[in-house]
Amino acid sequence: MRLHDYKHFLALQASRRALLKGAAGAGVLAALGGAGFGASATSALADEEGDLRAKILQIPGVGKGSPTDSDWQKVGELCLGGTKSTVKQGEFAGVELSFMGLNNQNLHNLLFRGFLKPWEAYTGAKITWIDLAQADYNPRLQQAIATGTVDFDILEMGAPFEGDVCGKGLASEMPDWVKKLIDFDDLVNYLKPPVGTWDGKQYRVTIDGDTHNFNYRTDYFKDEALAKAWKDAGNTTEWAVPKTWQQVQTVTKFLKGKQIDGQDAYGYLDPCKPWGGFGFYFLGSRATAYAKHPSDKAWLFDVDTMKPRINNPAWVRAIQDVLDALPSEPADQLNADPNTTGWQQFLGGTGSMCVWWGDIGSNAKTNDTSVIGDKCAFDILPGSDDVYNAKSGAWEKLPSGPNFAPNLAYLGWGIYVMARVEKDEKKKKAAWSAAAHLGGKDLAMWTAAYPSGFQCYRNSQSNIAEWVAAGYEKDFIANYLDSQFNSYNHPNGAIEPRIPGIFQYYSLAEDVLTKIFAGQLKAQEGADQIAAAWEKLTDQIGREKQIALYKASLGM
Amino acid sequence: MPPAPPTSDSPYIPSSISPSRRTAGRVLVALASLVLVGMALVQILHENGALGFGFANWRPVLYAFLGWSIALGIAQVLIRGEAGERALFILPAVLFTVAMVIFPTLFGFYIAFSDWNLSSFSGQHFNGVDNLVTLFHDRYFWNALLNMVYYVLAVFVEYAIAFGLALLLNAEIKARKFFRVAFLMPFMLSPVAVSWMVGKSMMEYRYGPVGRLMRVLGWHSPSFFTDPWIARISIEAMDAWVSIPFLMILLLAGLQALPREVMEASRIDGATGWQQFREMTFPLMMPVSITAVILRIIFKLKLADIVINTTSGGPGGATDTVSSFIYREYRDRSNVGYGTMLAMFYLVLIIVFVTMLLNFANKRVRRVN
Repeated sequence: MRLHDYKHFLALQASRRALLKGAAGAGVLAALGGAGFGASATSALADEEGDLRAKILQIPGVGKGSPTDSDWQKVGELCLGGTKSTVKQGEFAGVELSFMGLNNQNLHNLLFRGFLKPWEAYTGAKITWIDLAQADYNPRLQQAIATGTVDFDILEMGAPFEGDVCGKGLASEMPDWVKKLIDFDDLVNYLKPPVGTWDGKQYRVTIDGDTHNFNYRTDYFKDEALAKAWKDAGNTTEWAVPKTWQQVQTVTKFLKGKQIDGQDAYGYLDPCKPWGGFGFYFLGSRATAYAKHPSDKAWLFDVDTMKPRINNPAWVRAIQDVLDALPSEPADQLNADPNTTGWQQFLGGTGSMCVWWGDIGSNAKTNDTSVIGDKCAFDILPGSDDVYNAKSGAWEKLPSGPNFAPNLAYLGWGIYVMARVEKDEKKKKAAWSAAAHLGGKDLAMWTAAYPSGFQCYRNSQSNIAEWVAAGYEKDFIANYLDSQFNSYNHPNGAIEPRIPGIFQYYSLAEDVLTKIFAGQLKAQEGADQIAAAWEKLTDQIGREKQIALYKASLGM
Repeated sequence: MPPAPPTSDSPYIPSSISPSRRTAGRVLVALASLVLVGMALVQILHENGALGFGFANWRPVLYAFLGWSIALGIAQVLIRGEAGERALFILPAVLFTVAMVIFPTLFGFYIAFSDWNLSSFSGQHFNGVDNLVTLFHDRYFWNALLNMVYYVLAVFVEYAIAFGLALLLNAEIKARKFFRVAFLMPFMLSPVAVSWMVGKSMMEYRYGPVGRLMRVLGWHSPSFFTDPWIARISIEAMDAWVSIPFLMILLLAGLQALPREVMEASRIDGATGWQQFREMTFPLMMPVSITAVILRIIFKLKLADIVINTTSGGPGGATDTVSSFIYREYRDRSNVGYGTMLAMFYLVLIIVFVTMLLNFANKRVRRVN
């Protein structure tokens, strides 16, 4: 991060920490009391579940700053139980494994290094690392696949790439002993097969659950001056947290020119700068409530033809929303990618609403860059008063009220073992053992609780008492976990299409969207351009196969 | 020992080498060439689906190329004797050029006329001029090319600043050596580092010092990358900051090489500083200036790193360069065929443009001389 930002945050952090020290301690005790725990919360929890999870959740402890490499190693060491039960000490001596994954500010490979260091020491295996920035991930993987030069044994990969990797026979099927070791059944439903499978075979050790949720600042919506100004502006409703995108728009426009705590107030933060295809998810999160009709599983393409829906009225409305909101957002919003909106702006104190993966929640209180830990709250994505029915071609108002459709963007990261280890049993076992270690149930609790780039993805992570014992305030964590699990389990969730080339579709869209956001193209005109480019891409990749895979990814 | 006189067979083959030895050499080359061409042909047909058998990848063809190069070396000695041994010394350079320049270029042209998306189920296949047609209709590419015109024109502003600095550092000023080193320092920085340090840090609109300064001066929302023209100028300013020292050092070297006697004589004759510059320094510096500007234009045509890091080509493609556009085509869209066509087309454009520029420069220099 930039030095001046760092110093700025540090100054703000110091006051936040001082506040948290007192508040967190009191909050934890109060919360635990409410949950039926005695004064010794940790030991009570230990009695119930064994003290391992309680112990790792104290490393380093919520409110004690970002975890360091030594913390990651401690956690890795303490979670070696599964490995020790299946591997003899030194069993993999001489085995060398190559591991390809991300290495950016969301930690990923940095974290894996720490977790796997004690695993390497115990098993005797050695891991070499191929680190990739997020935007470079797709090309590196695609090149390896297309040129037949898979030079890694273990791969950190998102489910959208399963068509490219598993579909081409490049992955090793998960052995049964790994399924048992990682407690496969504990996964939340939306991450169970067909996610992680291909032709009925299981390939992936899930390490992350992904959904976009809604993050907002509570202080804005409790601010009396803003509430008065809201009334004075002629609004008949209460000054409150928006529940629909229509309300988000109204609040964003209202906040233009207002101040809060002596700072400029802003509403929603749109990421408008391309981000290697990943930025498209954020338009998706504005669009799903408009485009994902409860009676239709599809929302991005027509399932029978792969005809893009990006230029239908629902998507165009989402694009137009961004255009309408931009004049009320910070001046440099056109140059903001999701890293900027999430980390630099929202966690750094600029703006009142943003959409992101669950990282914002797990970072708000545990990341040194956050200055909003005590005033951050969460919900599932906003809904819409009406929803577009792509089959009938009409907007509909649902009798049940606004349409909500959480964007289950990316389906989380997983660990995959490559088929090239199959010819060497020892190496194969070593690779799967490493994958199982990273996908372990206890480790997962820690990664969800601390900055890691991974969200909760197991039913066992919904135990609020565990989070509270770790130092989270009960209301905060209950609110956060609700935003996650209610998204995962939502009946109208918008499922990520696991089709080859999906990031090419997103990247093509990003290039046009940047022109639309800069005012060079009208929303409909730009959306038509994206649709035309997508049609061409579908033909290039192979329409019939794409249709089949799209249907399969939607469970049709 | 001098080379043997030419024979009727070949002007370079010594007659002392027996015909059977020469025949063996020729047969060896012919066989190796046959194997190489045959394997390459099989692989091409196999990859295009015209042949049911072939290799899993191109590695066997690479081995055949290595075998062919060894056979070629042995054949040289068999056919030409001592002259062949001497030829062996240039063989590595020839093979390297073939492998690293000629083959990739030819392969690049072949790929440029292919439909090859890394996610495509059908893999790579020849598609004629489709990519070229797409290129001519690709408004985003032409937009990037138009931006290159702005960036290239900015070289002349860079040149003017660099010339001024070179004149300053050529004058008898205090701490001249210190200033020479100080002005040269930005050139030592990587453009990627500059884009982070300056573009994303100093010019950040909320907390960046440049933004704060602008606010003090009355610019309420100093956003350097939102307005197309300000964004272009901001990118250009960063690139110029890194590159002006390069121009400056070339021009300074040129200034130091100017004949002192002529300058002194003009001063004695009463020429003012401006007259001296206009009538003598500038014309005499023309050859160096043209070389420096052409080199800088060539560097400028490759501009990508600062753009990719700072704006990703935005807002709305206003800062996109051809290189950053091609980079996205490869990196984000894995569209190897079209990306290669873009690269090849740009290469041809650059060759034509730089050749014209060199011709123009040659004429100017000749006129000055």
